[in-house]
Amino acid sequence: MKKEETVKLISAEGFEFIIHKDAAMVSQTIRNMLTSPGNFAESQHREVTFPEISTTILEKICQYFYWNLQFASGKETEFPIEPELTLELMMAANYLHT
Amino acid sequence: MENHLVELCIDSACRSKDSVEKWRRQKRSLERLPSHLADALLRRLHARRLLYPSLLEVFKYTIEVVDLSGENAVDSEWMAYLGSFRYLQSLNVSNCRRLSSSGIWTISGMTTLRELNVSRCLKVTDAGIRHLLSIPTLEKLCIAETGITAHGVTLLSSLKTLVFLDLGGLPVTDQALSSLQVLTKLQYLDLWGSKISNSGSAVLQMFPKLSFLNIAWTNVTKFPNLPHLECLNMSNCIIDSTLKGPGDKVPLRKLIASGATFSNETEDLAFVGIHVLYYLDFSNASFHRFCFLSHMQAVEHLDLSSTTIGDDSVGLIASVGENLKYLNLSSTAVSSSGVGILARKVTNLETLSLSHTMIDDAVLSYISMMPSLKSIDLSETDIKGYIHLSATEKIKFLSLTELQNLDCLEMLNLEHTHVDDESLRPLSRFRKLSHLMLRGPSFTDVALSNLSILPKLKTLSIRDAVLTNQAFDALRPVATLQTIDLRGCWLITEGGLSGFHRRFPQIEVRHEHFHFSSDPTSSDRPSTHSTPKKLQLNQRSRSTSMSPYFVDQRLKYSKEELLALQFSSLSHGSTSAPEIGQKSDS
Repeated sequence: MKKEETVKLISAEGFEFIIHKDAAMVSQTIRNMLTSPGNFAESQHREVTFPEISTTILEKICQYFYWNLQFASGKETEFPIEPELTLELMMAANYLHT
Repeated sequence: MENHLVELCIDSACRSKDSVEKWRRQKRSLERLPSHLADALLRRLHARRLLYPSLLEVFKYTIEVVDLSGENAVDSEWMAYLGSFRYLQSLNVSNCRRLSSSGIWTISGMTTLRELNVSRCLKVTDAGIRHLLSIPTLEKLCIAETGITAHGVTLLSSLKTLVFLDLGGLPVTDQALSSLQVLTKLQYLDLWGSKISNSGSAVLQMFPKLSFLNIAWTNVTKFPNLPHLECLNMSNCIIDSTLKGPGDKVPLRKLIASGATFSNETEDLAFVGIHVLYYLDFSNASFHRFCFLSHMQAVEHLDLSSTTIGDDSVGLIASVGENLKYLNLSSTAVSSSGVGILARKVTNLETLSLSHTMIDDAVLSYISMMPSLKSIDLSETDIKGYIHLSATEKIKFLSLTELQNLDCLEMLNLEHTHVDDESLRPLSRFRKLSHLMLRGPSFTDVALSNLSILPKLKTLSIRDAVLTNQAFDALRPVATLQTIDLRGCWLITEGGLSGFHRRFPQIEVRHEHFHFSSDPTSSDRPSTHSTPKKLQLNQRSRSTSMSPYFVDQRLKYSKEELLALQFSSLSHGSTSAPEIGQKSDS
């Protein structure tokens, strides 16, 4: 992966997830952040910090982004969600519009 | 896909009792849940039947609207938890039969509740009303068909903020109604089936903002004249005069008077403002003359079914003309030539019902001159589907061809007509038809295969027809097809159709003896009732595998045996039963 094709997502605890730009774009919120005109820190450094989202949840979110790309290309597998995570993940997904 | 992950989360959270246990103690998360997510979660739990009283507590700070209508389990314990909801604005517990007045006690004193529906909770009585009086914010209250008496209704007069009040089916008296006069904010009042009379309806003038009034099935005979009344229901009343009001005419938009009786003075409807009246339902009403129609320019919805209207008055409907979108003339004396008067005059008509009339095939050419039609009901009529062009040569013209120019046609009902396989052939050219209803023994496998190619077909109903299992072996229905209704097709068996169901699991198949629901796995959103239905299906197929595939008794016997049985039952009357038993044993 070239550097310009990646996006860095940072969790509340400071963990960094480097994922492909296309995967991150699954989220309407991140898409808006990265593509909005003007010199916002997010679009310049390709880096988004989520002080509200814990590492566990952000990891799951990243897994979902990749699963969603596969799903959209026709691969029908199930995306497993542990019931313990559902509430927090639901809120994060709601925030990220995904 | 909008918020697909949220949907997956809700799905996973509500998968089973165990999954609920995994998250229900996450108090901090639950309190932070945005209300629309909490709402979706609660509704899914309810639909999956995973909700129980103490689980309600986790939604204490997040939920604003609760709808538990028809939930038999709801009792005082449920209500106690609901009563502690901090921000609850609307509560619907209608049709909850175990709910009683003491259940209402547990929600008394709520400070946020604005809407409450306890309709058809029979155990809610006047005592329950007393508890309600401590909720000062109530704006909408529905207590129709409960155990509340006229006295209980009188108590409502202290709920000054009420805007919407449904008292349907309660024994409200004139006196009780007049005690409600202080509710000057009322806009919606439902009093159907109450005991009010003309003197009570005079009180109605005291509600200055009233825009909706239902006094169906009462003894009121005077047409109320209220300055802001927009919708009035006087079904099954006798209307013999009008009340004097402040304005000349009532500015009604909607008038429902089905089954009402009009007198000579009132049947011209001179007291109704005609410029905004767009909805008229006079089904089953008794009229002698229909002259009121001549000045109803704004009417879009006109229901005159089961009235005495005949061809001589149809010209009056034509004068309504351009605005008309819905016209129901079923069970009237209107004939084909009557419909002919309307042709070309009703260019915006979208729905036309002519069922149970004397129309014949001649009507189809007139209908073809109503270009906006979307839905046509021709059931129970004399339509044959063909016209003999010349009697001697027996040349047939398939009259349904006339309708193929109706570009918007989506729904066609031909149940109980004389149409058969052959005369249906023109239908295969109807590009937009999505719902088709047929019924009668004149349809065979040919009809099914011809119709299955209609490109937009969603619902196909061929009832009481002589379809066979073989027709489904080769059937290739269009992708849009959702439902096939085969009720009364007695030659069809569950075993014979299971192959079809396996090939097209997305199509719902209806029959008296079996039911293939559309398979939830073929869509993204699992249907909530899929599991019980599937179980039922399995049990059924097990029971049928033990007995032969017979669903209709007639199939068990050969023709000769049947004839023999027929005569034996004629000669012996009721003694034929044991004989049948012997036959099936042999």
